[in-house]
Amino acid sequence: MDFSLTREQEILRDTVREFAQRELAPNALALDEKGEFIRDIVKKTAELGLVGIITSKEYGGSGMGHLARMIAIEEFSRVYASLGFFFQTGQIGMYILENFGTEEMKKKYLPPLCQADLIIATALTESGGGSDPSTMTTTAELAGDEYVINGRKVMISLTPVCDLAVVVAKTGDRFSAFLVERGTPGLDTPNRENYPGLRGEPVGDLVLTNCRVPKSNLIGQEGRGLAVAISGIGAMGRTGVAGVGLGIAEGCYEVAVKYAKERELYGKPIAELQAIQYMLVDSNLEIEAARWLCYYAAWLLDQGKSPRDAGDEIARCKLYACNIASQVALRAIQIMGGYGTIPEYEIVRRLNDSIELFTAAGTQEIMKNTIGRSIVS
Amino acid sequence: MPCDIVVCMKQVPHPDYLGKISLDPTRGTINREGMPAVINPGDRNALEEALRIRERFSGRVIVLTMGPPQARKALEEALARDADTAIHLCDQAFAGADTLATAQALACGIGKLEHFDLVLCGDATIDSGTGQVAVQLAEFLDLPCITGAEELTFENERSLLVKRIWERGYIKVRIKLPAVIAVTDKINQPRLPTVLGIMAATQKEIRSWNAADISADVSRVGLSGSPTRVSQMSEFHAKRQGEILQGSPEKVVTLAIDRLGKLEML
Repeated sequence: MDFSLTREQEILRDTVREFAQRELAPNALALDEKGEFIRDIVKKTAELGLVGIITSKEYGGSGMGHLARMIAIEEFSRVYASLGFFFQTGQIGMYILENFGTEEMKKKYLPPLCQADLIIATALTESGGGSDPSTMTTTAELAGDEYVINGRKVMISLTPVCDLAVVVAKTGDRFSAFLVERGTPGLDTPNRENYPGLRGEPVGDLVLTNCRVPKSNLIGQEGRGLAVAISGIGAMGRTGVAGVGLGIAEGCYEVAVKYAKERELYGKPIAELQAIQYMLVDSNLEIEAARWLCYYAAWLLDQGKSPRDAGDEIARCKLYACNIASQVALRAIQIMGGYGTIPEYEIVRRLNDSIELFTAAGTQEIMKNTIGRSIVS
Repeated sequence: MPCDIVVCMKQVPHPDYLGKISLDPTRGTINREGMPAVINPGDRNALEEALRIRERFSGRVIVLTMGPPQARKALEEALARDADTAIHLCDQAFAGADTLATAQALACGIGKLEHFDLVLCGDATIDSGTGQVAVQLAEFLDLPCITGAEELTFENERSLLVKRIWERGYIKVRIKLPAVIAVTDKINQPRLPTVLGIMAATQKEIRSWNAADISADVSRVGLSGSPTRVSQMSEFHAKRQGEILQGSPEKVVTLAIDRLGKLEML
């Protein structure tokens, strides 16, 4: 077994870490308070080739792979999780286009997506739920050479700023995936939710009212849209959310360690108190465990496993990393006492971010369902 | 006309770990073992400046380091940052070098190159900070040298106007190529590697040269070529002591002057 990163991956990690220190660390608190989409920062990551990190060179990406992407998300999220989260949500659509889209779609959309000149959202969830597709009411009916789509998608990341969306709708009693461009008559993104966490990543509804798209905008086969979406959500969404959780935990842990070494009580740093050390040990252990679960799932995808075949490993890393993100954040607050909730220490921001991860790309319970089914089957 | 530039660099402990450097008084060295290493920050500025010059004039950027096998990592990072090729001077004979012996080895390495127009270095390293290598290297290469460079302006392809720090101000110096220039961190902000650059770096060549390859006189490199002898080393502990002077402003000023006088600071 070789647990070492390649030299490429090491340099990538150092690069992203430096980027995060340069571009995010000085402004993270202000960015979060502002709560706007960090388009200019996303653009800078694209210029470094990071947005296209899983996209093939043929379509404007670098194809460096899933583990490299995981490392990048981890490093962004250590400092500012909203940017890490963009690499989750934004890349689901890119993955879907590359793996299920037509050649024309790939050539037209992937290069500008890699450059962040275009932003893509993926819309599955509706008010009836996201985990149970049987409640879906959005429909797409074939009328000549066009599909007419009607419905409302809710709590969709990036909709307020997206240029494109992958929309899953019912075609008869099955599901199909479509590419819909902003500006298409009948497409509206009317709102932005005011969530307490991940405030640099806008979330809102996607409303389709007699929205007509050409038949050529069908992604994959008609009736196979759910498989298309779940593949993207598994490969990019769940792994991405896990990476964000890992990064949040690391960020909180580092603040807590620094504080514990500096804060004196009874004439010595509180880091020398075993009660504090035990809390730090718990966080340290959880982070190490989460990191290897995350890296392993990403590594499996790099080895060619499909998101379906690596489903258990992906579910484990998502479940665990998202759980520990909040745990480590709360523990940091406990270590830091009253200072832990002061905004400038940036623990509460990270805690708010971590809460958003529980439901993103599948709830924690859905992850347990996946793992549970595998255990008993 | 293309401008071939040699960038000399050193692998140093990561700045975040400088506080963990320990001293080895018996060997007279600093202990860097087990610490994450990076390219010396000033050398990254030198590399960035070289890349900018290449963008203007074309040519090649060759990175050069002397160091143990792990110093190769610094070269790999430099290649990821878009240097064209790299040379690693690696030989037990180079071990224990002071600045003079380091400059001697670097000069021998540069002397093996078919052609170069400019040598760029960082002004000083963050681990030892002597700032001597650039000038010693220039002496060995018999080239003009400017240190403390904050701005390079090409007047033409063979002549540079260099703005360099000078006590509380700066001076501008005209220099003809080839030359050795040591730059400060004010000169630019180094670019980050791109993902494609990182991936391409593994395909680029790193030549490894030993003392024989560069025709180095082994008595003039490494420990045997180092006239510097560390007679004693001790850790410096900075202590701060605060004292609050109380009373009217006039009284406090009088007290402050008295205290500073006793500390011989006036």
